[in-house]
Amino acid sequence: MSKIVVCYKWVVDEADIRIDVSSVDTTKARRKISDYDRNAIEAGVQAASSVNGKAVGLTFGTSAARQSIKDALSRGLEEGFYVNAEEAATADGTVTAKALAAAVNKINDVKMVICAEGASDTFARQTAPRIGAILDWPVITSVCKMEFSGNKLTAVRKMDDCQETVTAELPLVVAVLPEINAAPIPGLRAVMAAGKKTVTEFKSEELKIDFAPKARITGLKGYVMSRKNIVFDEGDAGEKVSQLVTALKKEGVL
Amino acid sequence: MAGIYVYSDKKEFVPELISLAVAAGKPAFVITYSQETAREIIGYGAEKIYVLKGESVLAENYAKATAEFLQSEAADLFVVGATPRGRDIAARVAGYLDCAMVSDITTIKCTGEVIETERSIYGGAVVQTEILDGFSVVTIPAGKFEATAFRATSGSTDEIETISVKADTRVSVVSRVPISKDGVNLKDAEKVVCIGLGMDKEEDIQMARELARIIGAEIACTRGIAEENHWLPVSSVIGISGAVIKAKLYLGMGVSGQIQHVYGIREAKIIVAVDSNKNAPIFKAADYGIVGDMYEIVPLLTAALK
Repeated sequence: MSKIVVCYKWVVDEADIRIDVSSVDTTKARRKISDYDRNAIEAGVQAASSVNGKAVGLTFGTSAARQSIKDALSRGLEEGFYVNAEEAATADGTVTAKALAAAVNKINDVKMVICAEGASDTFARQTAPRIGAILDWPVITSVCKMEFSGNKLTAVRKMDDCQETVTAELPLVVAVLPEINAAPIPGLRAVMAAGKKTVTEFKSEELKIDFAPKARITGLKGYVMSRKNIVFDEGDAGEKVSQLVTALKKEGVL
Repeated sequence: MAGIYVYSDKKEFVPELISLAVAAGKPAFVITYSQETAREIIGYGAEKIYVLKGESVLAENYAKATAEFLQSEAADLFVVGATPRGRDIAARVAGYLDCAMVSDITTIKCTGEVIETERSIYGGAVVQTEILDGFSVVTIPAGKFEATAFRATSGSTDEIETISVKADTRVSVVSRVPISKDGVNLKDAEKVVCIGLGMDKEEDIQMARELARIIGAEIACTRGIAEENHWLPVSSVIGISGAVIKAKLYLGMGVSGQIQHVYGIREAKIIVAVDSNKNAPIFKAADYGIVGDMYEIVPLLTAALK
């Protein structure tokens, strides 16, 4: 059965990052499937049912990403593929796309690759078009709706000034916007079933790609927003409101 | 020829990109897929304007041809306006040429052969600095660089060179429908009233609308209100995946202040938050806050401002 490969990323939960001006500490942060990838997974599951194919998940990550697979499979993917590579820790957009494209080439009978438009940590929005270029497949980005007819996809793209409907034959790569669907929260039964699904692991050396990043990170610093942080929490509602109104009038913003 | 090559599907954005190249002390070359655009860009300081001409109306279909052209010219850097189309083309060029790319940069420094960039990650909470090796691609959001002043020229067209290329025609356009903006232009709004998931029912938006009407503000929302609850259109979303506002006044009600949302408001002059949870992160991002029930506070505020 032909496969629809959904790429997802296991990311740091940004709510748990400890930040000050000079340091960024992610060591204590929980991890999660990138928010927008949950919509990409759901889009893959829906697309698979339209084309009578099988939706499978693919991730490229360090050994820490292993724990993501069950979560991804509980969201309706039928099979998991995992590139387990410590090189993922230093990967830039070049390396990530090459690793994912090389893995797609190792999976049989792939009809389509689906990515989210961007990941919730870096939001660089490079992966889908890069994979398309590496595979030399057609690419459709900013997709908010998909319809299949035989081997043909008609997709609606949300651009900054228009909605553009385009069409192309499979195989192809798409990047979907989060608004394409409402990703359901997996139920207990789906979570239980996820543990029984097949997972294939690729080691970095099997991919035969260059893992050297072309963009090297040389610094990370917290963005510091300087705000007044005046909170009115004393007194009754009327007093708080009048204090606020006085302050806003003084600021000249009303 | 070596130099900085620039592209944007929004022609009004091209002069800003040329400015970047000029500031870096490199010759600027413009790439476009339209003869008409080429003529309108004359006089903004580019060394030359290249029209890559082929059989497709879809700019993205020239990504591979653009990559081949940049390679044949031994370009140093490809700078692209960060629109949905621009980002797509930029990343495909980077994919075809297996080169570094940094998206949505906030600063760029070119020292000799070394390119250093900064951009925001983790929903804007962190600034990441990167050094790029070799030919690279960057995308830039509008408004980061001042546009070059229009240099009056004799209007000659000798700066334009048209090159025939093969477009990739596997994706074809069926239709284009302009997006109706629902009268909302959050980017340029002077005041914004924003609702978050602290709001209980869709009907309660009326309360926000009433306040917005009194102070002359636009209505906006967090991602959850538009994408999960479908109470307002996606065009009303403020945040990293929505609008970034520069309003004089932002007033959030029931907005918890996740960093993806805060990214969209941090250029506002004054940020006001009303929320019942005194530990909500929005208060750290706000100038003024009221800890309290918005159903009590907002009507009082509306009445006080009438």
